Amino acid sequence: MDIIVAKDLRKSYKDGEAETVALDGVSFTVRKGEFMAIMGPSGSGKSTLLHVLGLLDEPTSGHYGFNGKDTSEYSRDELADLRNREVGFVFQAFNLLPRTSVLENVKLPLYYSGIDESEWENLAKKAVEDVGLGQRMYHEQAELSGGEKQRVAIARALVTDPEVIFADEPTGNLDSKSGKNVMSIIQHLNEEHGKTIVLITHETSTAEHSERIIRLLDGKIESDEKVAKRLTADDEFVK
Amino acid sequence: MTYKHIFNTAIRGLSTNRSRSFLTIFGIVIGITAIMLVVSLGAGAQDLILGQVQGLGTNTIAVIPGREPTGPSDVTALYSDSLKDKDITALTNKGNVPYLKSIMPVVFGAGASSYGSNTYQVTIFGGTDLVAEVFDLHPSEGQFFDASDVPSRSNVAVIGSDVVDHLFDGQDPVGQNIKVKSRNLRVVGVLPKSGGGTLFNFDSMVIMPYTTAQDYILGQKYFSRIIIQTETDAEVAVTAEDIKLTLRDSHGITDPTKDDFTVQTQQDLANRLGTITSALTWFLVAVASIALFVGGVGIMNIMLVAVTERTREIGLRKALGATDRDILSQFLLEAVLLTAIGGAIGIFLGTVLAFVISVGLSKGLGVNWQYVFPWGGALLGFGVSALVGLVFGGYPASQASKKSPIEALRYE
Repeated sequence: MDIIVAKDLRKSYKDGEAETVALDGVSFTVRKGEFMAIMGPSGSGKSTLLHVLGLLDEPTSGHYGFNGKDTSEYSRDELADLRNREVGFVFQAFNLLPRTSVLENVKLPLYYSGIDESEWENLAKKAVEDVGLGQRMYHEQAELSGGEKQRVAIARALVTDPEVIFADEPTGNLDSKSGKNVMSIIQHLNEEHGKTIVLITHETSTAEHSERIIRLLDGKIESDEKVAKRLTADDEFVK
Repeated sequence: MTYKHIFNTAIRGLSTNRSRSFLTIFGIVIGITAIMLVVSLGAGAQDLILGQVQGLGTNTIAVIPGREPTGPSDVTALYSDSLKDKDITALTNKGNVPYLKSIMPVVFGAGASSYGSNTYQVTIFGGTDLVAEVFDLHPSEGQFFDASDVPSRSNVAVIGSDVVDHLFDGQDPVGQNIKVKSRNLRVVGVLPKSGGGTLFNFDSMVIMPYTTAQDYILGQKYFSRIIIQTETDAEVAVTAEDIKLTLRDSHGITDPTKDDFTVQTQQDLANRLGTITSALTWFLVAVASIALFVGGVGIMNIMLVAVTERTREIGLRKALGATDRDILSQFLLEAVLLTAIGGAIGIFLGTVLAFVISVGLSKGLGVNWQYVFPWGGALLGFGVSALVGLVFGGYPASQASKKSPIEALRYE
C-alpha cells in the first residue's frame, strides 16, 4: 500500500514581483514500510518537499495523498492531529526544549495527543530506551552530546508510534561517528519496527542507508533509483 | 491538550525568564495596589462619616431654614430667618404632626468668651435640655441645665473641654461665671474631650438654653435649626411629610417649589454623604486604573517579545501536533498568570498599606477610623487584572497561534 502519493506537486513563493519556484511538478509514491532518501544540492527544493510531505506546508498546486486521503480535505486541526499521531519529525538542529529533561522532551508530543496521561510516562521511557538513552532519562539537553540530542529527537518522533518518520538532514550537525550511530537507529526503526522513513540528505553515504534515492534538481526529479548496495551500520563497523 | 498541561506549560514558559516576568508584573502590582488602597480608604472614610451621622440617631429629623437652591440665580433659596416660634407651636400640635416625640429649636453663632483675663473664640449653641439626649452628651463634671431653664432664660451654660482649657487655668469651672459676648453665664457642666473627630465639635462650644442665646447673646428671633425626634425609625418618613405640610401651612406657601425651609432626615444626610464619598472613591479608582492600563501595555509588550523569541518553540510544538488553539491558550494563559500574580501581590500590598494608614489615621488624628477590607475591591482587582491579561495578552497570543510551522522552524 502506498502511504504517500504525490501527483504533480508544485510550490512557488511570491516575493514581491519575483516568483520563486521551489517544486516544479513532482510525482512519486512511497510504499508503507519503505526507506527513501531525497538528495539534491541546496536550493533544489528538497526541504520544501519534505515540509509538504510532512504536512507542515501545503503545495501551491497538485495533489498530495497521505494515508489514502487527499490532504486538501483535512482541516487545520486535523492536520495538527495527523502530525501528532501519524508523522514524526527529526530536524537537523534537534529542536529540543531548553532546560527540560530528556524524558520531558520526549513527552512533548503526548501533550497534544489524545493518549491517556497515565500511559505517558511508560511510552516516553520506552522511546528513550529504544534509542539507547535509558541512562540519560533525567539529563537536560545541555548535558548531552550532539549525537545524544539527535537520539532524543528520534525518541520524541517515535513516542506516538507514527506511521512515517521524516528526517531533515539528521546527521548534518553531527560528527561522523555520531552520524553513523543515528543512521543505524533510523535503519533499525525501518527494519525492526516497520516505520516508513523519508530522509533528506546531501551526503551519499547517508543516503545509501536507504532502499531508494530520489534526486532533485531545480524543483524537478532528476532520478529515482533503487540503492544497489545498501550500507548498514554493521558494514561501517566491519570496515 | 488538557487544562492542567496548558497550565504547566505556561508556568514553565514564565519560569524560564523569571526576572523578566517579575519586572513585567510591576505595573500590574502598582495599579492594583493603588486601586485597593483607594477603595479601602474610601470605605473607611464612608464608614466614619456615616457612623457619625447615624450616631445622631436615625429617628432624628432636622428642619433647616431656606431651601436648596435650584440654580445659581435662585437667590430666594437663602432665607435664613424663616423658622420662628409659631412654627414650633404648629409642629407641636398633635393634629399636625402626630408622631412627634420631642422637638428642640436650635440657634448657633460665634462669639468671644472670657474669664478673668483669658479670652477664647467659641461656638455659641442654644438648645433645650434635649441637647444632651440628641447628641448623646454626658457632662464629666456638673450637669446639664434642665427644662425649666428654657422658659426662664436662665444664664447657665455647659462648656466644652477646649473652652475649659483656654479660659480656666486649672480651676474648677463649675459654678464660675464666664462672659460670652459681654453676658455673664454660670457654668453648670463641663463636657469631656470628644477628640474633634465628630461632625459637631462640642469641644469649643458653649451650650445654653436657646432662649438665652436668642434674647441676650445673639439677638435673633429666628432659629438656626429645628430638631425633631419620632418614637421609631418607621415614623420618620411620614413625619417628615407632616412637617413639610405643617410649615407650608404656617408660612402660607402653596407651591412646594417655593418652600423656605428644608426638611432633612438623617437617612437623607447619610445617603448624600455616602454618594459624595463613593463618587470621590470611584474618581480615584479611575485615576489608579491608569496605572493598571500602563501595566497592561507593559504585559502586551513583553508578550510580543516572548512570542518572537520563542518562534522556534512555537514551530516545534506545531510540528509535533499542537493546534492553533493549543498555542493560543498557552500564551494567553502566560499573560493571565502574569497579571493574576501581579493582582494578588497588589491586593496584598494594598491591604497592608491601607491597614497601616488606617492605624496611622486613628492614632494620629484621634478619629475612630476603622480599617475596612474591601472584599468587593479585592475581587474586582483580581478580576480586572486577569481581564487585563486576557485583553493585553490576546493580541500576542493570536500572533503566536497564527505562525506557520515552517516559518517558525526556519526562524533563527
